[in-house]
Amino acid sequence: MEMEEIKQKILEFMQKKAKSKSKIYLKDMQRAIPDAKPMQIKKAANELVREGKLEYFSTGSTVMYSLPGQDLEKGMTSE
Amino acid sequence: MGDIKKHETPTIDDLKKGPFPSFVDDIEIFGLNKKKQACLDLLGQLELSYKNKETHWKHGGIVGVFGYGGGVIGRYSDQQDKFPAIWAFHTIRVNQPASKFYHVSALRKLCDLWDHRGSGMTNFHGSTGDMVLLGTTTEQLEPVFFDLTHQMNMDLGGSGSNLRTPSCCVGKARCEFACIDTQALCYDLTMTYQDELHRPAFPYKFKFKISGCPNDCVAAIARSDMSIIGTWIDDIRIDQEAVKAYVGGELKPNAGAHAGRDWGAFDIQKEVIDLCPTGCMSWDGNKLTIDNKNCVRCMHCINVMPEALRPGTDTGATILMGAKAPILEGAQLSTVMIPFIRLEPPYDNLKEIVENVWMFWMEEGKNRERLGELIQRVGLANFVETVKLKHIPQMIREPRSNPYVFWKEEEVPGGWKRDIAEFRKRHPA
Repeated sequence: MEMEEIKQKILEFMQKKAKSKSKIYLKDMQRAIPDAKPMQIKKAANELVREGKLEYFSTGSTVMYSLPGQDLEKGMTSE
Repeated sequence: MGDIKKHETPTIDDLKKGPFPSFVDDIEIFGLNKKKQACLDLLGQLELSYKNKETHWKHGGIVGVFGYGGGVIGRYSDQQDKFPAIWAFHTIRVNQPASKFYHVSALRKLCDLWDHRGSGMTNFHGSTGDMVLLGTTTEQLEPVFFDLTHQMNMDLGGSGSNLRTPSCCVGKARCEFACIDTQALCYDLTMTYQDELHRPAFPYKFKFKISGCPNDCVAAIARSDMSIIGTWIDDIRIDQEAVKAYVGGELKPNAGAHAGRDWGAFDIQKEVIDLCPTGCMSWDGNKLTIDNKNCVRCMHCINVMPEALRPGTDTGATILMGAKAPILEGAQLSTVMIPFIRLEPPYDNLKEIVENVWMFWMEEGKNRERLGELIQRVGLANFVETVKLKHIPQMIREPRSNPYVFWKEEEVPGGWKRDIAEFRKRHPA
């Protein structure tokens, strides 16, 4: 699968999920797009972060992805 | 800098009374001298937490430097009105140099940077090995990162679902027992897997730890998903004259480490031979003999008589996988996957194994599942097969109790196909 196509699918998945979940594990993206290799999905997700279309959310022990501007807990977006 | 305000902290002040130096004293003195309100607010919030018996930190957040998914751990106080200086108090992990050797000028520069842009508090080192810079605000993250990378040639370490900063023992730099160049390997792995270190790729954390010999000074066997422990494949080198010197009392056992008390004369039989876990050593009063095939590399004899015994010269490493701390199912030590592998730059043989393991873990691992838990879930035999390693007899815990054996076609010579005519020639119907 082409990188652009994977990126598009990731964004579609994130937007669909955004209604119920603000943060998504990489693993869930990989499950949602079974046709692409996990490593490619990781690369695509990281590229989307660089492009500003996704954001990392880190707890310190795990990392999740979210769409920019999600309604996160107050205080976690800015000082 | 304006006035600073010290909070009333009667509960944690009690900690100053103990016999050891107290972090409360340290943080308070530093905060007052340097006029760092963050330090005093930190103690104020800790006092409140002791009183309320719950934490007032909010964990995690969208903080980081551009393009990096790790290295910064977001911390926010939920008591912003009371403690405004620690409203945001993020932690930054900085990748330590291999074996943690520093020049004082580098440390001085780092401390000056952190005094200027952070709380001034550090933690040397975190369990992963990183230098931990404690407490700064979101707007300081990019400037800190810029200074680290552009002025000091340092980089952020790993956090989150990334490869964590690889760490190693002092290795050949300071230790005569080192069987592999731990620093070279640690540096090589760090540089090769930069992408995995900085951009989240895995179901959960993954740690490499490298020890030069089976003494395992970095506790790789207990703390890392992939433990690389130096070992030798030939015989332990014996200097019989030095053994006699230990027996005769001219040399002190354990290099004199237990000299603080009179333990009596050194008894080689009781203190070395009888303690060998496989009983592979013998002493006839004149000559020490080791049955090297039965040595399990416990290192006891070598540690007791370092001038007489030394590791062999044909060296490499043992690869173990699957250790983790006790979050699920208790603590787990890593399991030997490859008893002996030669490790020479560019370490392609090791990297091939690493990448096979990662590929399988990324495909099969569940969210927040460590490699050790995945191995338990799918079974050691299946794991070994999938990542293209070899089964070894020591992996078998007990003889098989199930009499039914299901062979796979590739395990049977000639597969499932049989020449019936040929069979009937030997076994008429």
